[in-house]
Amino acid sequence: MSEKNMDKRKGNTFNRVILKLLGNEKWQHLTIPIFLIFLSFIAASIIILSLGKNPLGAFYNLLQGAGILPKPSYAGYKSMLTDFLSLLNYMTPMIFASLAVAIALKGGLFNIGVSGQMLLAGFFATILIGYSELNWVIAKPLVLLIGIIAGGILGGLIGFLKYKFNINEVVSSIMFNYIIQYVLSFFIHSYYIDPVSRQSKYINDAARLTLVNVELINLKMDISIGFVIAIILAIVLKQFFDKSRIGFEIKAVGANSKGAKYAGINVGKTMILTMVLSGIFSGLAGVTYYLGYFASIQPKTLPSVGFDGIAVALLGNTNPYGIIGASFIISIIDRGSTYMSSMAGVRKEIASVITGMILLFSACSAYIQYRIRAKKDSLAFMAGREAEE
Amino acid sequence: MDTLIIDGLSFALPLFIMAIGGIYSERAGITNLALEGLQGFGAFFGALWAVVFSHFFNIPIQKLFYFALLLAMVGGMLFSILHALLCIKFKANQVISGVVINILSMALTVFLTTQINSLVFGALSDKFQIGTSVRFTVPVLSKIPVLGAAFKNLYPFEIVILVIAIIAAYVLNKTRFGLRLRACGDNPHSVDAAGVEVFRVQFKAVLISGALSGLGGISYAYSISTNFSPSIYMGYGYLAIAALIFGNWKILPTLGACLLFGFARSGGYILGQMLEMPSTFSDLIMTLPYVLTLLLLIFFSKSNRPPRALGEIYDKGKR
Repeated sequence: MSEKNMDKRKGNTFNRVILKLLGNEKWQHLTIPIFLIFLSFIAASIIILSLGKNPLGAFYNLLQGAGILPKPSYAGYKSMLTDFLSLLNYMTPMIFASLAVAIALKGGLFNIGVSGQMLLAGFFATILIGYSELNWVIAKPLVLLIGIIAGGILGGLIGFLKYKFNINEVVSSIMFNYIIQYVLSFFIHSYYIDPVSRQSKYINDAARLTLVNVELINLKMDISIGFVIAIILAIVLKQFFDKSRIGFEIKAVGANSKGAKYAGINVGKTMILTMVLSGIFSGLAGVTYYLGYFASIQPKTLPSVGFDGIAVALLGNTNPYGIIGASFIISIIDRGSTYMSSMAGVRKEIASVITGMILLFSACSAYIQYRIRAKKDSLAFMAGREAEE
Repeated sequence: MDTLIIDGLSFALPLFIMAIGGIYSERAGITNLALEGLQGFGAFFGALWAVVFSHFFNIPIQKLFYFALLLAMVGGMLFSILHALLCIKFKANQVISGVVINILSMALTVFLTTQINSLVFGALSDKFQIGTSVRFTVPVLSKIPVLGAAFKNLYPFEIVILVIAIIAAYVLNKTRFGLRLRACGDNPHSVDAAGVEVFRVQFKAVLISGALSGLGGISYAYSISTNFSPSIYMGYGYLAIAALIFGNWKILPTLGACLLFGFARSGGYILGQMLEMPSTFSDLIMTLPYVLTLLLLIFFSKSNRPPRALGEIYDKGKR
């Protein structure tokens, strides 16, 4: 066999392995993201290696820091379980924010204002309930309700401006992001500031959506109520888009608004509804962030979760279950990075570079899918020809 | 009154050049939300080489001003290749590609800045100090009452931006390349039918937008802060996108929008000083440009018409 043929054969086996792993279309929505995450970690390994550090050790520390693998030693009242619970606590606003982005994307809209909606919802819930003396039985549901209302109204307003005045939702959300950020910073600085921490005053624990320092089996853990709600709502949302008429209408408008109009769907109304729904989830992200993960608001700062949510929604393929998985992975990288940098001596900032690369690769997932199909077709064609010969 | 115009212009012009970059890309049919990341990466790249050169060749960093501007453009262009590849070659969703590039740019520049600072300069810092730029006053013109302020205390980059903006406007509206570029955004099939590669034109357009964003970014690094630091990701890119949509994807109206942002911003500051308001009120005044934009958009958005094929990658087989 000539050398050229050998090379060809070798290339073919590589292709076959890839095809074998990724080719099954039924599992592609799982295998391709995993493949992409694998690729990003390889790329990150190269960076870490070039800095003269051991990448495998660093990744191991990453998992330890996030509470997936046990650390060699723990402080008092801490264990792997408490680390894992704080991971879930951290992850909750991210799930909500990504679901908010996903809802808008399904309806053909781009909600870049999740951060602003989060801040608004968090602010109102903080001043109305967080500083009140209400009993927790009333306070916690009210916090959720206020989050839903504040987020929903702002989302709806963005949708309304698009429907009524043809204002591009990207522009109006960006403007609202700035306005909310500055106006709320004014109110926090004027009325609610804690002079020591330079943040808003801490809220009462009764209103918090995370039960902090719960003592159980000799551990102090943070239990996120929001996480349970997030999982339930993700399941509901999946059913909503798969089974309900309104869910179908939202998807139809997103896929082809003209076609939807001919089919008799009220496009304007559906658009506003999409944004209200997206805003509601942003609001929930806001209250679980400011009244759950944190207990105060940092003025003049938009939560970066709102922007990360865009990318997580994409990594999860706008599928609610996919989003839960994607949030889990991104949260592990975020949460584990501090421990990794202290143990392995790799800079903490590498974590966001890894995240960025995962997102970069996942933006190409449709292309990979397309290439795999093309490859499969050509292989099938070749096999057919060989059989003929 | 003078400060209103001086500060307004120095804020509006970098925004304007970024917005022109956005116009190039979007008129060619490629949605470009990546402006934010491109300007940040451009500023990083320019600042990095300025710092490195002044460190190793003992050149005072002020002398490297134009060098930094040039390299910022190169840096922005290099990073925009990623957006072009993602959108054109890999057919990714363009909005998503833009957002991903912003996230990656921020992560990468912060990581590299701290890493390079500790490895090369042995310092624990996430900033590159590039010093302030010199400012100059045009002798005769600045004596004109009121409007003369536009010629006082100019940053050199304002002139560079103006020159490039005029060239960019000419190229977009009067040359064959500009015509093809605009056609790519409205009716790519006609471009293809004329025997021109659509993807090639679009690729060039995205690269141009990268270079112009980089220039805008380093201008902010020289004027608002005197360094490159993560605070460059203040949302200037998003503001530029708002300006170009407000300007209906045309260069002159976009200039108007940018000037509006600039003057509303500097005007707000002056208003706060004049009324001797406590400093917390400055936050309220900062909202002025954005509130104004929203209100104006309500009146002027009806006639807004984005390029027809914007955000849709060209598909030969599609009708």
